[in-house]
Amino acid sequence: MNKVVFSSWGGKVVDNRLGTATSVENLELPLEYDGHRARAFMSWQGLVVVDDKVNVIDMAHSYLKEVQKLSCGECSVGYLGVRVMLDVLTKISTGQGVEKDIDLLRRLGTGIKANTKCDFCALSVKPILDTLNYYEGEYTKLITSKKAVPESVYITRVTAPCMEMCPAHQDAPGYIELIRNHRYEEALELIRETNCFPGMVGRACVAFCETNCVRSDIDNPIAIRALKRVPADYEIASGSEPEFEERKATGAKVAVIGAGSAGLAVSYRLALMGYKVTIYDERFSAGGMALVGIPSFRLPKGILEREVDIIKKLGIEVKLNTRVGKDITLEQLSGQGFKAIFMATGAHMGRELGIEVEGGGVIDGVEFLHDVNTGKKVTVKDRVIIVGGGNAAIDCARTCLRLGFKDVTVVYRRSRVEMPARTEEIESAEEEGVKITFLAAPVRALTKGDKVTGVECIRMELGEPDASGRRRPVPVEGSEFIIETDMIIPAIGEKPDLSLIEGRPINITKQGTVAVDLSSYQTSQPEVFAGGDCVAGPATLIEAIAAGNRAARSIDQYLQSGKVTPPSEYMVESWLHDIALNRQRDGNIVANQPRQSPEQLPIPDRVLNFDEVEQPFTYEAAAKEAERCLRCYRVMLMAIASEK
Amino acid sequence: MVKLTIDDKVVEAEEGWTILDAAIQAGIHIPTLCSHESLSRVGACRVCVVEIKPNGESNLTTACTYPVEAGLEVKTNSEKVMEARRLAVELLLAQRPHSAKIQKLAQKLSIEEPSFTLKERECILCELCVRACREIVGAEAITFIAQGKDRDIDEATVVHSLEKCIGCDSCAYVCPTEAITVEDIDDTRTISTPGDKLEFKLKKCKVCGKYWAPEKQLEYIIEKWNLEPEIFDTCPDCRD
Repeated sequence: MNKVVFSSWGGKVVDNRLGTATSVENLELPLEYDGHRARAFMSWQGLVVVDDKVNVIDMAHSYLKEVQKLSCGECSVGYLGVRVMLDVLTKISTGQGVEKDIDLLRRLGTGIKANTKCDFCALSVKPILDTLNYYEGEYTKLITSKKAVPESVYITRVTAPCMEMCPAHQDAPGYIELIRNHRYEEALELIRETNCFPGMVGRACVAFCETNCVRSDIDNPIAIRALKRVPADYEIASGSEPEFEERKATGAKVAVIGAGSAGLAVSYRLALMGYKVTIYDERFSAGGMALVGIPSFRLPKGILEREVDIIKKLGIEVKLNTRVGKDITLEQLSGQGFKAIFMATGAHMGRELGIEVEGGGVIDGVEFLHDVNTGKKVTVKDRVIIVGGGNAAIDCARTCLRLGFKDVTVVYRRSRVEMPARTEEIESAEEEGVKITFLAAPVRALTKGDKVTGVECIRMELGEPDASGRRRPVPVEGSEFIIETDMIIPAIGEKPDLSLIEGRPINITKQGTVAVDLSSYQTSQPEVFAGGDCVAGPATLIEAIAAGNRAARSIDQYLQSGKVTPPSEYMVESWLHDIALNRQRDGNIVANQPRQSPEQLPIPDRVLNFDEVEQPFTYEAAAKEAERCLRCYRVMLMAIASEK
Repeated sequence: MVKLTIDDKVVEAEEGWTILDAAIQAGIHIPTLCSHESLSRVGACRVCVVEIKPNGESNLTTACTYPVEAGLEVKTNSEKVMEARRLAVELLLAQRPHSAKIQKLAQKLSIEEPSFTLKERECILCELCVRACREIVGAEAITFIAQGKDRDIDEATVVHSLEKCIGCDSCAYVCPTEAITVEDIDDTRTISTPGDKLEFKLKKCKVCGKYWAPEKQLEYIIEKWNLEPEIFDTCPDCRD
């Protein structure tokens, strides 16, 4: 809790100028920014004044300047109304205001709040109205004095609930708006600013953004993932490729270990900054988990290859079939003049099931998907049990159906809602014929000779939430039952293989991942950075890309100055994150409009081969879906003291 | 069919209609600017604002975009509606004072002049031209460029692409503010937009010698409908 002079945050007014209270419940404000004292905050949530010397009129003026830049122009009241409000505030701030301007501002603010097309302008004028309602005296004083307000220093951030939820903070409202206006090239350019794999992510992302879409509380979230695929497919259909600006070479060389999404993302960013990047990968082809872990019915190999090729065009060298630690050592890399190393070796070792199995009939999920994806011959039986509830488990199950397994059962220890796999994937798997046994865990394998004949499972019930926030499964005593099967595929998570750094001054966490500073991705050995699954454990494509983006920034810092300091904006990030995640909306009424879904291959055809199941959105359907976006951009302004 | 109430009158409407459709059918007038019967509705001008109370709570929305619901109560001229509509029209009038259509809307609301000023612009961003070009003509020659994050422009705008434009003049026809105009002089058609002038060569009729349509538009039609090229050698007046 912070002491405040005034707060209208979240609609609750605390006014200490009248001596009512001094603090606001549940409001943790960052007290400083980059060594500067925080003085006041303004956002769609309201106004908070910490330092009574702050000039709220100048603040309102500066805030509205930012709002005006984002006011899109698709509705007259929002666009023109904000312009007039800004003009009036400029007039008042420069000592040219007249008494009736206060009423005019109030009228415009109220009108904008009530009658705009999307949420952005309607929510953005709220703190301005608060200044009019609670600081009217200041306005009157300023207008009478005919003086100009002193200008203060502000930090501005723009986000949205979907953007904030995305690990890479992709500008979803921005590219959705461009898609709505059929401006696919620009949409793609905008996506590539934070995500170098639009086509891949447009297909295989878990879409954290959609889980925090404000539209969920009205009808259904926007199909953000599927929309992202539209401009990516458009580029392929139009036969074009992104053009990159001429880059000034910096001279410094960076080695990247692992050509997965984190390694490729960091290389892309570094190459754009002018670094000479060489990627080493032990496999025959680049892509990492996206290559060997995601089946082609979800992510066709051609899409991956194309996006890797685009990245390579930046002059990145990819040395395949080269395992660092075996074919070349870390020391040899340093000897070759690499000034920084980024380790992105992923998590490819399957966790063991922890039950006793003798003989064959058990293959790890990661290995299984790897073999299928790399064209190795795999044994096909009649019945198979897959243990796990993540995307890998579902991918294994759907792959089994396509290979000709007749009876495919997934055994998961929690219930459907806790299942980490994407809902769409679970539904598709069930449509295709995958059976899922919830609330059950394997206890032991039944064997006959060296063959598996079944699995003894035990029923589970859900207890208290664990560290992940999901309810912990607890075995129900005496509830054992048997599922007959010919094969078991455990897909219960993967762990990184850290043999490369064992015995080196690079710290490893208790969880068996590479320890890094999470704001910089720097390891305990200053020139070595790490990111992706080898740091996070088995995570997602977009988290790996986000890690790559951020690591590139700190590697650049390290190579330029020899040290890494987190950018100032990270300081307010967690605070901003918390408030931006709040998707509570106080906007105008929105009619239900059902979510558009891309066509899927007919169910009977799907299991016949590995063809991509999800078909692209038509341009019309995409525009219709994009039309549903409420454009929940939020502007945050923080007034800071000019002196440190 | 669903039954709803507009200004205390029970009105029947088909599922999928908007409030505006239902009002037109029932002979209830709601002023509009950016809506056109042949085009999709976008709610850009905010003039057709109405008040509804779907869950007991009063809300403003645009009649042209909000779908009818059984039992919905709509007020087209409550005090709240008139206040919001007046502001929308005042803003549009400040932006484009010379538009006869906006002047007429203002007159009906007894607005003599806006109580504020704005930098005048010809285009009010109603997107009628964008929709006509995309939905009726199919040329997609006009793009709406929104102002916004990471789009480095000061003002939202609509832009014609000379490459895609066929010179058909549908945009000028639907434009409510005469921001887009068309002029045919001898063998040349000029389409003037706020940011540009586009010229098109007109086709001469083999019989009467009159210049009657842009060559590019005729080529577009021939290709789209797979017609014989000779069909347009003569103008409609000289054809049987």
